[in-house]
Amino acid sequence: MDLRTLIATIGFDERHILPSLRLLPYDRLVLVGGRNSFRSAGFRRLRALEPNLEAARVDVFDLGDCLESIEAWIREARAIGPVRISATGGTKILTMAALLAAFHEGVEAWYCDPDPVRLPVLRGVRLAQAFVPAEQAVMQLLRGRTSLDRFLALVVGRGFARRTVLTAVRSLAAKGLVEQVLESGHTVLRPTPRFGLLRDHFRPEPGKA
Amino acid sequence: MTILFGTLGWRPQSLLPSIRSTEHLDRVLFYHSDHAKSRDARSKVVEFCRSLGVACTAVEVSDAYDLLQAAGQMRADVRKEKAAGAELRFNIAGGTRLMSSAALLVCILEGIPATYVHDETYREIPLPLLRMTYGEGLTPKQRDALAFLVKNREKRFSETALARALGVHKATMNHHLRKLEAVGAIERQSDPADGRRLIIVPAPGIELLLG
Repeated sequence: MDLRTLIATIGFDERHILPSLRLLPYDRLVLVGGRNSFRSAGFRRLRALEPNLEAARVDVFDLGDCLESIEAWIREARAIGPVRISATGGTKILTMAALLAAFHEGVEAWYCDPDPVRLPVLRGVRLAQAFVPAEQAVMQLLRGRTSLDRFLALVVGRGFARRTVLTAVRSLAAKGLVEQVLESGHTVLRPTPRFGLLRDHFRPEPGKA
Repeated sequence: MTILFGTLGWRPQSLLPSIRSTEHLDRVLFYHSDHAKSRDARSKVVEFCRSLGVACTAVEVSDAYDLLQAAGQMRADVRKEKAAGAELRFNIAGGTRLMSSAALLVCILEGIPATYVHDETYREIPLPLLRMTYGEGLTPKQRDALAFLVKNREKRFSETALARALGVHKATMNHHLRKLEAVGAIERQSDPADGRRLIIVPAPGIELLLG
């Protein structure tokens, strides 16, 4: 049987997330918050109401940490049933990370403060689906700063035409994920800062050995 | 030509680093609430822009506690500037959580580079957004059907009536609607006036996807 998971962000005041708990039905509740949030009286009151809730601790001032953690919880929860996100409590960074994670992973997202607002996320449409196979291959293989020629040869070795790979590199540059720079007469390809935050989306799915 | 959009709360420091760091800055357009402290912060930002010789527009958001209204207003402004060919950036650090969330939503939907300024270090942090329009996840035909439903939200359309209204074969419409239903953009509900009939209803808030 499918288990419906609600992933909700939490700050110090549990009243921010009570409307979400009331309006969004769930079988499993995951609260994402900072260390101090889970020591607060508000959290203790919530735990009294929901003894089986699961707590995911993050650094609420580090967007990368929040995003990575929420996306990991979504992937884990999606395996057992539908997932919803409530991005209502906690710091602004935590809220933003929850919103971004919902769009990246294609899960239903709500903002309930105080009235419930459903955000226009396309359910099931994940970030990686916006990329053609050659772009996905570039995202998987690019590890750091490298010579463009050497990198092209690497991707061509995976069965793509050189022209296709070049188009993919240009397209990724237009999307703000990679940069091409000229160094000592050679073109060098390097990932932008946002590349690292999105790389996990392009990991190949586990399959048969 | 670059236009910097921003949300402003009580502290001008949340917006100033982006004004300093933006290359070829032509104009600053920021949103703030009607709170007295927010208006004070607005004056400081306007003064700073004036000293740099950068044009500045401050927009007071009448109800800074309505997410869809705030996002709708920001999106209309963003689209206007985008259509004029300007390069856009958005600083979403200031303002209420709701205002920042509305700005982030606009940045995701329109594919605009967004930054956040750290509360203590005032360092700019780029957000991992792609420069691509989110609504392109739907095909033009799907967007047309959705736009028609949103525009006629108060009317009740069955699948057949919708196909007739848009001038497409009902099998084609069924295909588009199944895709839209799968991504959560529409719902099928029983017609309150005739329980045997299913009507197509756009999901709440989906109008933001269309712009």
